[in-house]
Amino acid sequence: MAVENDVPYSEQEFENAEQEMNELLQSSLKGKEVPINAMFLKLGDFVKARASGLVKWSMEKSLWPLQFGLACCAMELMDFGAARIDAERKGFLLFRGTPRQCDVMIVAGWVTKSMVPRIKRLYEQMSEPRYVIAYGECATSGGPWWESYNIIKGIDQVLPVDVYAIGCPPKPENLFGALMRLQDKIGGKIDGDTERSITDNPRRYEKRGV
Amino acid sequence: MSIMRINVGPIHPSTHGVLRLVVDVDGDTVIDVNTHIGFLHRGVEKLMETRMYMQNPSYTEKMDYVAPLAWDDLYVHAVEIAQGKEVKEAAQYARVVLDEFQRIASHLLWLGTFCNDLGQMFTLFMWTFRERAEIIKFLEDISGSRMFYVNIRVGGLWKPLPKDFKERAYRLTDYIEEHIDQYPEVLDKNPVFSERTKDIGKLKLEDAINMGAAGPTLRASGLEYDVRKAMPYYIYDKIKFNVPTRSEGDSYARYKVRFEEMKQSISIIRQALDNFPSNEDVVGMPIKLIGPQANPEPVLLSHELPRGEGIIYMIPDKQKPYRIYMRSPTYMNLSLLSHLAKGHKFADIFSILGSLDVIMAEIDK
Repeated sequence: MAVENDVPYSEQEFENAEQEMNELLQSSLKGKEVPINAMFLKLGDFVKARASGLVKWSMEKSLWPLQFGLACCAMELMDFGAARIDAERKGFLLFRGTPRQCDVMIVAGWVTKSMVPRIKRLYEQMSEPRYVIAYGECATSGGPWWESYNIIKGIDQVLPVDVYAIGCPPKPENLFGALMRLQDKIGGKIDGDTERSITDNPRRYEKRGV
Repeated sequence: MSIMRINVGPIHPSTHGVLRLVVDVDGDTVIDVNTHIGFLHRGVEKLMETRMYMQNPSYTEKMDYVAPLAWDDLYVHAVEIAQGKEVKEAAQYARVVLDEFQRIASHLLWLGTFCNDLGQMFTLFMWTFRERAEIIKFLEDISGSRMFYVNIRVGGLWKPLPKDFKERAYRLTDYIEEHIDQYPEVLDKNPVFSERTKDIGKLKLEDAINMGAAGPTLRASGLEYDVRKAMPYYIYDKIKFNVPTRSEGDSYARYKVRFEEMKQSISIIRQALDNFPSNEDVVGMPIKLIGPQANPEPVLLSHELPRGEGIIYMIPDKQKPYRIYMRSPTYMNLSLLSHLAKGHKFADIFSILGSLDVIMAEIDK
């Protein structure tokens, strides 16, 4: 039938189409700094790169923290989960009881020697990619229990810590700030070497209550 | 049927800290509960022996992190007795006001988390935290810190009170009273709440006394014992208030006692503010001026903390305590758990544990 005649391109053009597309992409990238690999960029890679950006964005906007309180700082963690802060507006959705559904572990409180293997186990149970926030003075450096025989001097001796929130205890707003800093890190807006601690007091300028 | 052994914790949303329970169950019925503690042990009594007197409040306040001011107050009062210092009159009134606000905040937090444990998801948690936030804001404006207010000094407080202290305190009591009155409508009429608390974890008066139950747990079993009435300190002998008791001794009674206590605290605050002395000088001694004048006599002092009777036994040295022992009320209450949980269903363990109001840092020390 006349189907073959309806095709708007010749056979040769069809073979050259992929090559043309690659040339188009390479020419569009000419003015920019691109890694050498981009010379071999194909259409599929382009889509993949776009998709990984999408994954990054969605990871950034829905962080699920692990419901995991050790000591005093857990009180402020509860306040963070209550109505005053409204953490959901930035994408810190739910505190979950099981590590398998979580992205962020907030270590809130002092870590004794008998807790270390258990915290390690919880961290291993979390699915990749996983992040750790050291919340409070005790989890950062041992705090007032520096001289105690049963406390490890900072959770960073055991786990890789992403952000430190400093204070005794830090205000819930500081945890909010720390989580936003972590979002920047996941989204690639800051790299791992920049300053990672949150020490401001955001309530300083707040109005008085009842 | 064969007996099954279930491990709960040490990291579990309903254990209020890091408590490990090993539960033996036959079907769904609890046969035995073993409590494993010590996951927060940091040797606080030993550390306090190495610090000067007024460095130690930052350790005592971390004993009970839901009501830090209560332990702080008890410790500083013990130091005052050891040093032979008197508390200023206005400071006594101010401390009573702050302590009672702290008691209300502590009970509010307890109520929210208790309802959370029972499956009343988050409604009451949000409500109680709304009220607690106002109290914490008030205490923060007085002391400068949101949670650990190290503002009690020998002889008084750290700073003079703000000018609008009385006015704000009155307004805050009105605010709390208005909002607290809405709770029974949600709780007492709720069939889920009453089924999960009534006749659960019954503690007889005889057992409560023999096993050393403390605070609201003891009062819910029927004994009218409150340190503020039995051995009045500060200005509690000038104030009229009731000690709420119940005779049932179950989880519901413990909730009711705590709820009534909040109301009594409000009336105590109002009376203290009404009789506030005209000379509003509350500033105590600076930390540096506490010299080596301590009396070598041992000090034994007890206060009514939000969770029961806390006792400090201290042998003073010149600059720092030679030996200090702190008896925590929640330790006694936690030891009741295996006695209370026997014969109940597995899910009732958390109703009982929640109603005992356990703070692990105070137990492990």
